[in-house]
Amino acid sequence: MLTFLILLPIITALVILAIPGHYRFVIRCVALLGTLETAIWAAVLFFRSVPGTPDFQFEQLVPWISAGGLHVNYHVGVDGISVGLVLAAAWVGFAATAISWDIERENKLFYILLMMMISGSLGAFASLDLFFFYFFNEMALVPTFIMIGVWGSGPDRQAAAFRITLYLTLGALVALVGLVALYAATGTLDVTELRRQLVDHPLPIKTQQRVFPCLLFGFGTLAGLWPFHSWAPQGYACAPAATAMMHAGILKKAGLLALLRVAWPFLPDAVAYWMPVLVWLCLGNLLFCGFVALRQRDLNLLIGNSSLAHMGFAFLGLASMNVIGLTGTVLVMVAHAFLAGLSFALTGWVRHQTGTVEMTRLGGLLRTMPFIGAAMILCFMAGCGVPGFANFAGELGVLFGVWKGTMFSLHAWVLAAAWGGLIIAGVYMMRAIRLVLHGELKPEWHEVSDANSGWRRLPFVALLVALVLFGVAPGILTRRIEPAVVEIVKMARHRAVPDSLVGATGAVQP
Amino acid sequence: MDAHVLEHAAESGSRLQDLAWMVLFAPLITAAGTHMFLRRERSLAAGFNIAAVALSFVLSVVLFAAFAGETVAGSPFSWMPVAGMDISFGLRLDNLSLLMLLVVTGVALLVMLFSTGYMHEDPGYSRYFCTLSLFVFSMLGVVLADNFVMMFVFWELVGVTSYLLIGFWYDRAAAADAAKKAFLTNRLGDFGFLMGILLIWSATGTVHFGTAEAFLTAHPLALGSMASLAGVLVFMGAMGKSAQFPLHVWLPDAMEGPTPVSALIHAATMVAAGVYMLCRVFFLYTLPANWPDWLGFLQGIPASSIVAWIGGITALLAALIAVQQNDIKRILAYSTLSQLGLMVLAVGMGARLSAPNAGAAMFHLFTHASFKALLFLGAGSVIHACHHEQDIWKMGGLWQRMPVTFVTFLVGSLALMGVPLFSGFYSKDDILATSLETGPILFSLAVGVSALTTFYMSRLLLVAFLGRPRSSGAGQALESPSSMTWPLVILALSSVFAGWQIFGVSQFLTRHFLPEYRTHEFDPLFGPFNHNPTAAMFGFGAVLFGMSLAARIYYGAERDPLPGLMGRLARAMRHRFYFDEIYEATVVPLHDAAAAIAGWIDRWIISGLLVRGIPGAVEIAGRALRLLQTGNLQTYGLWFAAGAVLLAVFTLKR
Repeated sequence: MLTFLILLPIITALVILAIPGHYRFVIRCVALLGTLETAIWAAVLFFRSVPGTPDFQFEQLVPWISAGGLHVNYHVGVDGISVGLVLAAAWVGFAATAISWDIERENKLFYILLMMMISGSLGAFASLDLFFFYFFNEMALVPTFIMIGVWGSGPDRQAAAFRITLYLTLGALVALVGLVALYAATGTLDVTELRRQLVDHPLPIKTQQRVFPCLLFGFGTLAGLWPFHSWAPQGYACAPAATAMMHAGILKKAGLLALLRVAWPFLPDAVAYWMPVLVWLCLGNLLFCGFVALRQRDLNLLIGNSSLAHMGFAFLGLASMNVIGLTGTVLVMVAHAFLAGLSFALTGWVRHQTGTVEMTRLGGLLRTMPFIGAAMILCFMAGCGVPGFANFAGELGVLFGVWKGTMFSLHAWVLAAAWGGLIIAGVYMMRAIRLVLHGELKPEWHEVSDANSGWRRLPFVALLVALVLFGVAPGILTRRIEPAVVEIVKMARHRAVPDSLVGATGAVQP
Repeated sequence: MDAHVLEHAAESGSRLQDLAWMVLFAPLITAAGTHMFLRRERSLAAGFNIAAVALSFVLSVVLFAAFAGETVAGSPFSWMPVAGMDISFGLRLDNLSLLMLLVVTGVALLVMLFSTGYMHEDPGYSRYFCTLSLFVFSMLGVVLADNFVMMFVFWELVGVTSYLLIGFWYDRAAAADAAKKAFLTNRLGDFGFLMGILLIWSATGTVHFGTAEAFLTAHPLALGSMASLAGVLVFMGAMGKSAQFPLHVWLPDAMEGPTPVSALIHAATMVAAGVYMLCRVFFLYTLPANWPDWLGFLQGIPASSIVAWIGGITALLAALIAVQQNDIKRILAYSTLSQLGLMVLAVGMGARLSAPNAGAAMFHLFTHASFKALLFLGAGSVIHACHHEQDIWKMGGLWQRMPVTFVTFLVGSLALMGVPLFSGFYSKDDILATSLETGPILFSLAVGVSALTTFYMSRLLLVAFLGRPRSSGAGQALESPSSMTWPLVILALSSVFAGWQIFGVSQFLTRHFLPEYRTHEFDPLFGPFNHNPTAAMFGFGAVLFGMSLAARIYYGAERDPLPGLMGRLARAMRHRFYFDEIYEATVVPLHDAAAAIAGWIDRWIISGLLVRGIPGAVEIAGRALRLLQTGNLQTYGLWFAAGAVLLAVFTLKR
């Protein structure tokens, strides 16, 4: 079933490939149907997955290379951590396809690339073999660069495409070095195999110390960890809406997932060692990026920076290193997937209608766009951590987790700063609503149109429903996430060096 | 109290308390229904939403009759089940929440009825009722919550829905700005609230009110050096919602919303939520004072004193400002601030009593809800009649043209001033008596505030309703339609009677804090003079003083003579003691500067250096690699062999 889900967008892409380029309507319909089916199957998968167990479900293993010292298998499966992300990837993928209805130029190629992104991110979330994880991740990344370069907008889109390519390729390379080193140390890249091997014999601390920074900074760059973040806002501002949705919403989470899958359970000593550094970098995301967002006049840059601030929450939860915090992190990841997807879909609509996302040039749009405007208000409310949306549940989990975390003594200040980040978020989100939606309607925007048909509204509604559903009943997610997280925390207890010693060396003192 | 809880949890046959869920959700369901199906059906939308709130009101009455005097709590719904922070949602019915349910649903119902007349011409009629229902839902959630997190969730939703209501006319810049300001100021307060919740959770291991209270009663030192800090942090939440100094700046601006909204959220519900919450977590303020080292200079000062002083300062400042405002709604807004200050003061002082008890604060909240809603709606009626004129100096002589509005407004004003026989007298007396027992300074402050209250309300009455009409609008004003006057009459009745001892509201509330409390004397009308004659005489004296002073200055006045009499002080009062200007000059530039610095670093250091640096590094690496790339097959072979050896060495060494 999981393989079918991953292949579905690829099959769609192949069908599109076979359709001559000038049948635009047919291409759009095929793409839409393909992703709709993916979304439906992902929902089925999500609700059929059994909560309350740490095991991988819908597992499938196909031996691939087994020659000499090299063992690589196609191994997929989901647990509570990834099942929510798979759902988010399929839904945001569908929404991204649906809002790309108006793409005119080269739309065949556009849809094929988009399908590759969807398939790649689904594959990355489902892979239990790190080789395939890497492969799928790259398969989704490469179209990102092309799409920004070809369909992007704005005068500096070439520079943005260049920058995002450079950062992400370098990040991926650094992460690859870490993975290869891990392979060299253990002889396997399979997560379940690694777990079996390392549960009783943790890696020597030296190896951990060598591998961990590569993973942290490599995957961290992919997820926008401060100060390796500056590719993100610019890249999203120039990207076509669908690309920004997929990348900011979905692909960014692959880096975090890899950290959760590999670094946290298998390199616990190094995690403890690097914790203070990570905390400071989180604060960079939370506060620094928040302040930068305050300065923006371009709505997309604002959202790009705010999404970095949200990543700060995810990293902070990772740093807490306990069940509550890690559960919160996964919740934040899923919630932010829907949120970022929704935000960029909405700004995409505004840009399509008005030709600009410069906030000071807009104004009073709620009058002419009641639906989009209302959705945007809800979306921005979710973005500043208002309860009722999934983001709040995740952030609450992270805050509680950090409080409980005994790993570093700074926690009160870290918490205050994190929560302060949300207040800053309130300031810039309110400002954006005030400038774009409230106030007097400018005469040049009297003619812009709202999303009027049910079909046009569907992508926005689908994402909003997910945000509210998981906000009102986060238990649906946490019941699945928690057991898997407990496994990670359990693994992390098997340290090469006991806690007391680390404390004595002062390594964890911030 | 815990025995009750267990008893009701065990008994599963009659689940009358489950009606409370219906009270809570009825407005939400109609709000959603209206939004989806009734956006163009104006009268249907209004009727539908009014019916829901009416249902909530009726059910609240049933619940009140069934459960008064008991505590029923249960948390059947698990919201976020994670080991260690198991948060479940449930409702809590006790004297506090039962009474508050009546206040919220009752006032909301009347406000909605009034709105059918007031908002009749507005194109956003359906949206208005939908948002109003949503607001009532969030407020009921705050009232019924049985744990901190659930209260916080609804607390924030109250903030969001009030944002929508204040910014209802969002294309007016002033309304949009006011909504934004209200939301952000509230968030600032909530910052502390959540931190306080975390502190309490980490010390007691629970977020449920009942369990936390039981735990802290058994182990008063459980919070350690954080005891007072937790109290103050939680109080920050109340400072935001109840608009206490220095976070009070949002409330007067929030008058930009439709007037019935002001009546609802700024009289009976949202701003009362802060005081209600303080009473709910009253057990925090009776803990012994204890501060962490870095706040050592506060050692010995209990959290409750800070609460009381903030309340007192707010009450005094706001009353002074109200004296020099000319906009009828702003006078009422500052009066609300001042009364909320008194309630907060009563909470703080109540915690210092020998038998800690915040009954006075809740009692005043209860009476204030009806007379302040009456005053706001009356002001709405006046504004409606005068074609949206809000300056009292452009009114005058309205008593002849709008008799019902005038009489009801008069009743509301007398209640607010605290004239004997009107409800406000009894509740204000409770506050005065409480503060007299605990400290002379705050007592005299409260008496002063009550004199000022009488003064500015008399001024409002004399200028707006008596004298001769000072504008054509006032000259042609007509009494409002009956949909608007009936709610006024009902509220006027409750503004008179709500305080009478026959109804026993004060005792009922006191028993929430002191279950054994029974009063001995029983005098339905003049109890305060027997119970605590000093407090009652001072209160009465303040009323007489304020009234006669206002009559001397304002009777028949055409212009405000006060600026001439008081000069600079009057100007400062008119300009609200320059708080907005001060914030404008300090907070805004500060965070602009922080943003500018962050933006600069992001642009020039992180992006600049790293991004322009990396291509440079790539360039250098490229040049270096070009040296290796000779095109000679043998060289490549050599490099390949070297690489293989390196790999082998690396593999063998590990």
